[in-house]
Amino acid sequence: MENRIDLALKEAKGIQLMTHVVAGYPSLNVNADLIRLMARRGVRLVEIQIPFTDPLADGPTIMRANQAALDAGITPAHCFELCAALSRELDVAFMLMTYANIPYALGMEAFLDKAAASGASGTILPDLPWDEADGDYAQAARQRGLHPIMVISPDTPAPRLAGILERASGLLYTTLKVGITGAGTSMDQAGVDYVKALKAKAGLPIAAGFGISRPEHVRMLDGLADVAVIGSHIINLMDADGLGAVDDFLAACQE
Amino acid sequence: MSTISDMLPRHFGPYGGRYVPEMLVPALEELEQGYLKYKDDPEFTAELADLYQNYCGRPTPLYFAENLTRELGGCKIYLKLEGLAHTGAHKINNALGQALLAKRLGKTKVIAETGAGQHGLASATVAARFGLECKVFMGEVDVRRQYPNVYAMKLLGAEVVPVTDGTRTLKDAVNATLKYWIQNLKDTHYILGSALGPFPYPVMVRDFQSVIGREARAQIMEREGRLPSHLVACVGGGSNSIGLFHPFLGEKGIRFHGAEAGGRGPEIGDNAARFGGSPKVGIVQGYKSYFLQDESGQLQDTHSVSAGLDYAGVGPELAWLFDQNVVEFSPITDVKALDAFKRLTRLEGIIPALESSHAVARAIELAPTLPRDEIMIVNISGRGDKDIFITAMELDRENWIAFLENEVRHGK
Repeated sequence: MENRIDLALKEAKGIQLMTHVVAGYPSLNVNADLIRLMARRGVRLVEIQIPFTDPLADGPTIMRANQAALDAGITPAHCFELCAALSRELDVAFMLMTYANIPYALGMEAFLDKAAASGASGTILPDLPWDEADGDYAQAARQRGLHPIMVISPDTPAPRLAGILERASGLLYTTLKVGITGAGTSMDQAGVDYVKALKAKAGLPIAAGFGISRPEHVRMLDGLADVAVIGSHIINLMDADGLGAVDDFLAACQE
Repeated sequence: MSTISDMLPRHFGPYGGRYVPEMLVPALEELEQGYLKYKDDPEFTAELADLYQNYCGRPTPLYFAENLTRELGGCKIYLKLEGLAHTGAHKINNALGQALLAKRLGKTKVIAETGAGQHGLASATVAARFGLECKVFMGEVDVRRQYPNVYAMKLLGAEVVPVTDGTRTLKDAVNATLKYWIQNLKDTHYILGSALGPFPYPVMVRDFQSVIGREARAQIMEREGRLPSHLVACVGGGSNSIGLFHPFLGEKGIRFHGAEAGGRGPEIGDNAARFGGSPKVGIVQGYKSYFLQDESGQLQDTHSVSAGLDYAGVGPELAWLFDQNVVEFSPITDVKALDAFKRLTRLEGIIPALESSHAVARAIELAPTLPRDEIMIVNISGRGDKDIFITAMELDRENWIAFLENEVRHGK
């Protein structure tokens, strides 16, 4: 199976950016403008988060954005529509990211059908582990042309990682622990070794996220990981200084 | 092949499980292995038993409520007085067990969520007793309405962290505590306060709370020479109810009753009655169970006069017992709970917690319909001192406000 995620990574020169938007925050229209702007800056991997009341794996910025979107009446149907409209318009691989209860409430099959119909290329469900009864959805996703993107951490025990690797495709998303100081950013040797070993073992492109908030963070990962994930920083920039600030930041990341 | 993890139930029917981000899995596996190692360890159980007796004041009394029984004119009513345990509620049973475990796992810090503050208070207490650093996460709304417990936690040396996300109540405190834990796994143990959340919490908390049912069973056999036919408890997350019920499960002829928060009534957002209306299963906060949620799967706002029952989910074992028609759940409105609160206070000289008042209200509904030779045990999970700011405002408003104003004037 090959979809836009694979194409984006195959055609990539250097490290790719993967960005994150919370659907409906601050509005669906601004989401669309933001994603168009990202696409113009060469971003071809975008997570669209379907907001949820209890986003367990998200920090305060994204959590507040979830709540604001829900307060504005955003439903999963709006998120599928946003994805559908933009995947027709742009050459971007969209990954629908949300929490287990959203597909569970809809029914996993129906959720995957809707995701596929909206032109998404993958799903990310961080609190739905493969070893729980409803968690083993990877094959059902692939049957619909969707990559089941799995999220791991450097502490994921080997037997679990094996179970994840049997199921993951498209790319493997890992969190990283990185020392970030005032002067700059460094990844210790353990971090470097971890990503290298993971890439060899996984046989999949590696996306790394750790709260990237400066262009140096992206450059530090270049040559090591395949994708740098930029999540809450984009929301912080947009809230503080508008879309122009996001544009400048993405440009700086790609210099 | 049987593995070591088969020894603890990870699921109760289809419920429970461990639905968490991968980052949390190593800590939960460590906890699971640690609990398996120590739960039947003679030194561990002896130390816990000693603390239960000499620190908590266990066994708590099983008291024959003669006046209430006479007034209702039905079955014989016994009250299990968990409110007489140290810190005023059953929460200490679990907090002590988990603190002992945390020490053995080499943790130096504990964190806890709290709604009404009773579990936070219990956690701060055991942290003080065992020299552990303690942070308690509490919704900003609850910090405001439960200040006496906030004060007590601070006095005990805990840091109380107000949670400003979401509805700023118990469920958001759980989220905040789990997130803090994800970032501080190495030296920190999370003392989860109810029989819910990701495995192994539902089984571990149930086991620590089962001391309630084990004692009640021995006490009723000693007093009456037979088992009760009815057990009644309030159900928020469900730790006091599963603690009372569990040692009696499987006995024929016992009916189990759970009293949920009926709040202001059946409208959405006015109660925390997960089993009222058409109960809906979901996967939230690390476990699968019944949750109050909308058709998209978003958790709904809840309301109860008692902060301890004001929660959208319920422990997975209770969900399974509901499916099997073992436990019957009934919503008790705020008004009925307050009425039961007054009646028990006047009739027996026992001021119950507002949570426990829901169980008393259910007992008041049931007892008159039952034969005189039957026995009922009601769990008085906590005492009502902590609720003075709520009950006084409801029942003695003018005088209470005058008192508060006077205190403020003097204070300034």
